[in-house]
Amino acid sequence: MAPTACFNCKEARAVIIRPKNRNKLCRACFLEVFETEVHETIIGTNLFYPGERVAIGASGGKDSTVLAAVLKTLNERYGYGLDLCLLSIDEGIRGYRDDSLETVKRNAVQYDMPLEILGYGELYGWTMDQVVAQIGKKGNCTYCGVFRRQALDRGAAKLGIKHVVTGHNADDVAETVMMNLLRADLPRLSRGTSIVTESGASDIKRSKPLKYAYEKEIVLYAHHRQLDYFSTECIYSPEAFRGSARTLIKDLEKIRPSSILDIVKSGEDMAALVPREITHSGKKCGSTAAVEDDIGGCGSQNGRTSGGEMAAMEKELAENESAESRETEIRLPKGQPSSVSQQKIIKKQTLGHCERCGYLSSQRICKACSLLDGLNRNRPKTAIEVSVGMEDEEISSTLMRQMERTQLTNS
Amino acid sequence: MPAKELVRPCMDCKDAEAILDTRKRHYCGECFKAFASHKVLMRMSKYKQMKKTIGQAPKLLLPLSLGVSSSVLLHILNGDIERQLAKTFVNIGYELNMIVVDPSTILTPDTKHDQVYEAVTKAFSKLTFTRLPLHSVFEYVPDMKEIIQEYAGPRYIDDESRSDEYRLTAFRAAISTATSKADLDSVLLTRLVAGYAKSLGCETVIWGDSDTRLAAKTLAGVAKGRGASLTWSVSDGMTPWGVAFDFPLRDLSKPELEQFKGVCKELSDIVIPDEPVSDNVLTKNLSIDELMMRYVRTQGEKYRGVMANVSRTANKLESTTGSDDALCPLCGGHVGNVKGNSGVTVANQSSDNYSSKFCYGCMRSRPEATC
Repeated sequence: MAPTACFNCKEARAVIIRPKNRNKLCRACFLEVFETEVHETIIGTNLFYPGERVAIGASGGKDSTVLAAVLKTLNERYGYGLDLCLLSIDEGIRGYRDDSLETVKRNAVQYDMPLEILGYGELYGWTMDQVVAQIGKKGNCTYCGVFRRQALDRGAAKLGIKHVVTGHNADDVAETVMMNLLRADLPRLSRGTSIVTESGASDIKRSKPLKYAYEKEIVLYAHHRQLDYFSTECIYSPEAFRGSARTLIKDLEKIRPSSILDIVKSGEDMAALVPREITHSGKKCGSTAAVEDDIGGCGSQNGRTSGGEMAAMEKELAENESAESRETEIRLPKGQPSSVSQQKIIKKQTLGHCERCGYLSSQRICKACSLLDGLNRNRPKTAIEVSVGMEDEEISSTLMRQMERTQLTNS
Repeated sequence: MPAKELVRPCMDCKDAEAILDTRKRHYCGECFKAFASHKVLMRMSKYKQMKKTIGQAPKLLLPLSLGVSSSVLLHILNGDIERQLAKTFVNIGYELNMIVVDPSTILTPDTKHDQVYEAVTKAFSKLTFTRLPLHSVFEYVPDMKEIIQEYAGPRYIDDESRSDEYRLTAFRAAISTATSKADLDSVLLTRLVAGYAKSLGCETVIWGDSDTRLAAKTLAGVAKGRGASLTWSVSDGMTPWGVAFDFPLRDLSKPELEQFKGVCKELSDIVIPDEPVSDNVLTKNLSIDELMMRYVRTQGEKYRGVMANVSRTANKLESTTGSDDALCPLCGGHVGNVKGNSGVTVANQSSDNYSSKFCYGCMRSRPEATC
């Protein structure tokens, strides 16, 4: 077959079929089109201001590596005037992070950016491997996700930076839209798609400049720019709703490549249609509204699903339904036809600070601290008992946990 | 008299053998029908209220595909009307009209449809039925020809000397993918039904969509970039054309409606059964609507509640009907972003957005669209 000319420049030989619209492009045009689209996203949403200090949440994976490379390129090309740095979190999963952190360290040199690495161990006193040893392989993504969200913010605060960008791509956002529909989570449906997640009370702004970029194009971009990234999958299990949504989206993409973007568009519109009184409430009262609702899950699991979360929700719904048949309808003496329009009053979240660690939380104790409570309660207390009494441990602060860990490792 | 000895009595009447299970209960045929009818009539009770308020029974239009779901809805409503007529003080909450869109003008001609249509009009002889071809959309939506011409783009040539039927067939033939075809067919069907409802002076169209189908329609709508239209395409609410849409079967799943048909002998000969789902189709050759229907049905076997929740969630979105936002002349959806959405998906697509008159979802299904 004769080589096809590039759809864009009509000169060079096309070597790439764009996953987004199946246009055939040459290498140079593809890189340019990809960068221009990210630039348009940044300009269209006024994401940055000149002189802003921005931390790139870097995992060493393809998304964050491409994000760092593109931001560096665009910053120089269009003169954004950004002060960029890399921020990495070490979850403490052996074999998963060790190598990818090495990649981040190389990236820091390649892109000439300062790098900060924060470990779960030093932040929480628990590495993910220790968490999994304690609670098993099911449901540990909750811990990882909650810890990571706080870790990024804490890391940024430590660096005195108010804006963290993450490598979430269009596939991630589309997945979240579908997932929130499946689990009927309107508050998150109203927030999950916005490019910036920022709460009035939090001073750290989160954004995802790659939200319109396809995962496949990110891989192509990394490949054609020969970026140094680490390709691996999280070895622990993904969440069932996300797994189901992911499988569905992969099928949709086969039918109509634009559908990932179309879901993002639908998600953005639906977010604007979520009733106001729901928008600012959290369905699962847990941690900080805006901080917590960021896209969960890890970078690149496949659609493996354990089914646990979906089965649990199904069970709950079935129980609600069977309870419904036992209910007796009580009518008010004067039949008001407007009973349908009466809005249920939804309890709003008010943001405060966690009593333990001072992190933003809508509860008395933030999600991370309550998870840690559960973990610490079951931790063998051999060496600790000597120095930390039961009472002290009940109110253990981050510092206390850090000490705990030091003692554990020493003993 | 000794009590009847039942192996597994119906949980409601306890007087007959249970023959089917749903929602962790087992029923005899009659009690199951009563259970399902109750779910529907609860939803219909608002029309009695409306009748009190406006002084006359609201006119409703029921689009009938002659498939399982809409036939069950027709049967239940007809039963309600008959029951009322048998009473001394007749109080029917609504006036019911039926429309059947001739499937031979949408899919391949099917002789069975004619027979079934005959049988249905005979079985429900007290009700009014109208059968229309899809191309009568040009009659009930007067500017449809111009809209289609503009929508299809400069490369599409509309031969004005030909019949409506020919022109619509030519337009539909110009659409390349299964997804776009199914998408535009449903847009045209919706427009025809809404247009016909308006011409009859109907306040509301009651659709026979089961919760299974509504969940699939919700997910498909989202996947086709039509998220903003969910407030009337799968929710009970006002459409852009001044006719409300209502979904009285939203509390019943497709398998339950099939169970209903199974125990209802009156329906046995007057329902066109669904085409069996073929496993030998490549995913990429399915339309998005088909994919979602398959997804919801297979997932629904295990997670019935989760799937039912999807349409309930969509039903909670706030309608923007009545605001002065620009609407798509073809499907009635929002042009550009819904107010409050600052996303730049639309701007990103500027290259193929030659006419901003149509909505995002319709632009995706346009005949010349590359994807």
